[in-house]
Formats: sequence, C-alpha cells, structure tokens
Amino acid sequence: MVKLFGYEMTWSELAWFGHRASGLGVLLYLFMHIIETSTVLFGPDVYNAAVGIFKNLPARAGEVVLMAAVVYHALNGLRVIAMDFWPRLTVYYRPLTYGVIAATVISMIPLGLIMLRPFMPWGA
Amino acid sequence: MTAQTRRARTIYANPSRAARPKPEASGRDRFWWYFMRLSGLALVLLALGHMLIMHVLVELSGGEIDFAFVQSRWGTPFWRVYDFLLLLLAFIHGARGARTVITDYVTHRTARSLLIGILIALAVIWMVLGMAVIVFFDPNTAPPTGPFS
Repeated sequence: MVKLFGYEMTWSELAWFGHRASGLGVLLYLFMHIIETSTVLFGPDVYNAAVGIFKNLPARAGEVVLMAAVVYHALNGLRVIAMDFWPRLTVYYRPLTYGVIAATVISMIPLGLIMLRPFMPWGA
Repeated sequence: MTAQTRRARTIYANPSRAARPKPEASGRDRFWWYFMRLSGLALVLLALGHMLIMHVLVELSGGEIDFAFVQSRWGTPFWRVYDFLLLLLAFIHGARGARTVITDYVTHRTARSLLIGILIALAVIWMVLGMAVIVFFDPNTAPPTGPFS
C-alpha cells in the first residue's frame, strides 16, 4: 500500500492512476505540439521563433517530465498488454508493477541528465 | 494447490488489473479493446523512437531543432510516413483513452455526450491540421528568409 493525496492505494491502483495521468498529460502536450510544429509552414523566421520558446531550462524540465510520462506509459502499457494476452502473468502483477516503476526511474536518470545537459554546469 | 487456484481465479477476473477485461461479445467495444493494445504496441516504437531521436540523439550529436532540421528531415519520405503514422495513431489512441476517462467519471448522459463530442471534434481538427502540415510542407518553396536558411 502506498499513500497518494491522502488516499491509501495499492501498487496496482497507483500504476493505473499513473497510466491515466501520463496518458492525459501526453495528449494535452500533443495538442500544443501540433500548433508549434505547424508554424513550419510560415517559414524559418516564424518556426525558429516558435521552437525558440522551448529552449530554456523550465521548458526543458517540462520535456523531461514529458519523457518520463511517455516512458512510464509505454512500459506500463506493455505490462497491461502482456497480462491481457497471457493471463497467467497476472500472478506476477506485483513484481511486474515494481519492475515498470523501477525501470522508469532508472532509465530517466541518464535520459534526464542528457536532456538537461546544455543548462547544467557539466554541459557544453 | 486449492489456495493457489482460488487466488488465480480472482486475479483472472480482470487480467490486466490496470485496464478493462476483454469484452465478451464481439462488436465496437471489443474492436476498441484490441485497437488500444495493438496501437499501443506500435506507439511504443513510434512515440518512444520519436522522443529518443528528438530529445536525446539530437542533444548527444550537438544538433539543434530548427527550420533547417525540419527541411532535411522531411526531405525524406521515410520520416514523413513515420510522423504521419505517429500522428494518426497517437491522436486516435489518445482520444479513445480520454473518452474512457470521461465515461468513467461523467454519469450525466447529456454532459457525457457533449464532452465526448467536443473531444472527438478537437482531436479530428488537430489531427487533420497535423496531417496537412506533414503532407504539404515543401522544403524547397518555403520562403528562405531566415538567418538559418
């Protein structure tokens, strides 16, 4: 059991909540991303100005969160798919859930370091 | 042995324990049940690949995403097809997922239909806009006026 926002949650409920939150978050980002990318039709000046909005530390930090959301949603989605098509795997739902959370956190360490690099003391 | 069987049966009631059990009857619901899982598999490759290229490989190679980057990238049909597929699947998968969330929390019939209607309308408008950009972007005739062109 884990505590989140004052709720007692099992790990499977937390995994389910995370799947929804990350999915909705990525969908919201997608709407913004289309607008930003469609400025490419107005030529280099407009497009470079549009992507320039995101070339700073707060926006980059947001992109790290986006990456974490996509990685988690992908890994947890694979777990759901695996359990749906091979129901025997449900016996291992707990270690699989821990595995998804651990793999997300571990993979975000190098990914986050690389993505934040230009804004960090160790960066170029 | 009996305890094991009993425990297994409870878990089997909802195999994924995170999503929905597969609808028993064939029909629209079962189509979407399969669609979410199969498009999800494709999106693991497409979306994660897109994120890794745009946010990690570009960073590692010291490159920068600007107009010239898009020009060379969409100069090849491969990346246009890739982005088109990603856009299509991401929007349908995302809109269906959001629809599931709406039907879970909104019980009022009119409010529910209205929200789902708005969701579908927005998703279709944005998806068509994105597709138009991918299809109609012409790297050669785009006005070469910027400092990076």
